[in-house]
Amino acid sequence: MNPARNLRAEYQSKVRVTDKYKVIGFISSGTYGRVYKAHGRHGQPGEFAIKKFKPDKEGEQVTYTGISQSAVREMALCSELNHANVIKLIEIILEDKCIFMVFEYAEHDLLQIIHHHTQQPRHPIPPNTIKSIMFQLLNGCQYLHTNWVLHRDLKPANIMVTSSGEVKIGDLGLARLFYKPLHSLFSGDKVVVTIWYRAPELLLGSRHYTPAIDMWAVGCIFAELLSLRPIFKGEEAKMDSKKTVPFQRNQMQKIVDVMGLPTKERWPLLTSMPEYSQLPSLSPPLGGGGGGGHAGHHGHHGYGSHHHHQSHHGRGGNNAAASVSHLEKWYYGTINQQISSTAQANGASSLSVLGAQGYNLLAGLLEYDPEKRLTAANALQHPFFAESPDPINANCFAGVKMEYPHRRVSQDDNDIRTGSLPGTKRSGLPDDSLRPGKRVKEN
Amino acid sequence: MAANYWESTQRRYWQFTKEELAAMRQKLEDEDPNLVHMYPLPQLRHINIYLNRQFNHLAKRLGVRQQALATAQVYLKRFYTRVEIRRTNPYLLVATSLYLACKMEECPQHIRLIVQEARVLWPETFHGQDTSKLGECEFFLISEMSSQLIVHQPYRTLTQLQGEFNLTPEESQAAWQAINDHYMTDLPLLYPPHIIGLTAILLAITCYNRQNAAGGANAAGNSGGLVMAANALAHAQAQSQARAAAMGGNSGPGTPNLTPQGSFAGGNFSSQGGRELGDGSNPTDPKIAKMQRFTNWLAESNIDIEGMIDCTQEIISFYDCHEQYEDLVVRDNIKRFIKARGLDK
Repeated sequence: MNPARNLRAEYQSKVRVTDKYKVIGFISSGTYGRVYKAHGRHGQPGEFAIKKFKPDKEGEQVTYTGISQSAVREMALCSELNHANVIKLIEIILEDKCIFMVFEYAEHDLLQIIHHHTQQPRHPIPPNTIKSIMFQLLNGCQYLHTNWVLHRDLKPANIMVTSSGEVKIGDLGLARLFYKPLHSLFSGDKVVVTIWYRAPELLLGSRHYTPAIDMWAVGCIFAELLSLRPIFKGEEAKMDSKKTVPFQRNQMQKIVDVMGLPTKERWPLLTSMPEYSQLPSLSPPLGGGGGGGHAGHHGHHGYGSHHHHQSHHGRGGNNAAASVSHLEKWYYGTINQQISSTAQANGASSLSVLGAQGYNLLAGLLEYDPEKRLTAANALQHPFFAESPDPINANCFAGVKMEYPHRRVSQDDNDIRTGSLPGTKRSGLPDDSLRPGKRVKEN
Repeated sequence: MAANYWESTQRRYWQFTKEELAAMRQKLEDEDPNLVHMYPLPQLRHINIYLNRQFNHLAKRLGVRQQALATAQVYLKRFYTRVEIRRTNPYLLVATSLYLACKMEECPQHIRLIVQEARVLWPETFHGQDTSKLGECEFFLISEMSSQLIVHQPYRTLTQLQGEFNLTPEESQAAWQAINDHYMTDLPLLYPPHIIGLTAILLAITCYNRQNAAGGANAAGNSGGLVMAANALAHAQAQSQARAAAMGGNSGPGTPNLTPQGSFAGGNFSSQGGRELGDGSNPTDPKIAKMQRFTNWLAESNIDIEGMIDCTQEIISFYDCHEQYEDLVVRDNIKRFIKARGLDK
């Protein structure tokens, strides 16, 4: 008789994680828990990333306190999803009061890849790699969206890339089904989407989540692949003591610096946004994007005191200059940037071949009005992907001669069963701790 | 896939034939014949009625909505295809299923509140349980369900199609009630949600009458209505077969050409249905007109009519066996094995 089948006995997993997998090292940790790299012990092909959710503790004792809603969602969604561009769940093991989600392993992620290209000599990501990444990313998004799944936290660190160049959307820890939710998708989650990738309608207080929110993030990721810097690198305003959600002025300003002020002509529902009244306090863009991701880095010291601007750029956009987008300037400035001779000697090629269609796609994704923003399905049909000379390759590394550095796996903690307490540091990238967007724990 | 029934884990792993279901249950009983012999239980449908009532009591105390209640009942059904009921405390499983379903259906309840209410509700059989027992049971439940927690419900079919068939509020209510009732049968483990939803609509159209405002459970009492339902399905089947023959077998069976979402109410069906009705014999009885519209729609949409016939029979025979149900008998039988095996501790 199987002891697990008797409730009087304690619950015991039929599969033990350490019997089935050999942990090779520790990859990263976050508020949710820790991720380990592992090999199969029984000849299972491939490598694995095992996400261990942080167990709940009462004092020193680990106890059952009920699984968090976000873990339940992630387990349920990952069990249903099956697509080449979404990270594949192998199995879930519930053992010793802990949840272990076993995923296929991906050697790289976009954050790493972008970071690698910023290393001296700074050199752009090859244009064909960018095209392939974008196509695969959009393909994964389309799959999620046609299945009523919103990712809600797309950012370079969550986009995995396997060593064979397959792009896989990962970390569905914030994902939700958007088919007729019982509650507004806003309730329950204090923070959704790392602020740099947060869509303007969310910044302006919209409570309606739509797939368009993911598409804005995809636009931001596209821009970051081009310039190697977050295009809208704002600072997050913290929640005040009354727990009211603050207007993310700084982030909105970064967007305005490049995109110009939104107008109700371009975005008819703008005036019904809860934070619409905040718009006049933002500064109009100064001169526009200088390219290379430098847009918005000039001239905004102390924009809190810009009230005198109000008369110049009223809400209706009566000052046309204030609402002019500088994205085109930003784009061409970025793709036509000079490549250093050292980088050229290493085979770096210019992004200028991405041409006008690249701008078109970017502008379609970074469209203020969520209803006009490109959907994943539309974006996949974009001429950007149809242009000759090269067809889109399912391997984003095709033709790339060098090899990207492998994911750093540390040996500090190889004991997945007891494991040291989850910290907040991610091994691998030194600058990652600077990235904002820690999640507020739910429930 | 999360919102596509055809690709879902529900269809791939939790939809069985009657034979498969019977074999799984037999296997569980055969694992320990002694246990089964020592603690006899009434027929499964009566146990289901009893558990459904417990679910309803607890959900009412917590203000949980029907959608989560429905999902919770499916969880419990799935669980008991894998684990013999006599090895468990069903009250703990009811509470745990509801707790988990509430999270999944986006209306979470605090674990402590659930335990507290369950203790008040079932003082004899739940007193030894606490949040950590419920948390442990949650692991057991999820593990037996292989973490496949997304459940597709027939309510969606009803909401999408009630306009298509001009259901009156009373008919919608009756269909809704029939769906609620089907959770006391094996149907959620046997048929796709849209087949059940359509069966519920059929029963509502044919069986509902104003004198029987309680709907659902009483609807079957209307035997004239049942004959009508059976005729309607036979008619739709004949129509559909004739159509398939005319089309040279183009609409081959086995290729689902519609999904439980969206495309159901797609323009094609509605416009065709409407036109045929207009060409027809201009029926004066609105109920007959409604029936005709429904059968035309069925005949044209490649629905598994066999399945609907079977669902209709299952629901009707369930309503029959409901008459012999005795609450106390089931309760005492369950209590016996809980107490004897110390499952309440």
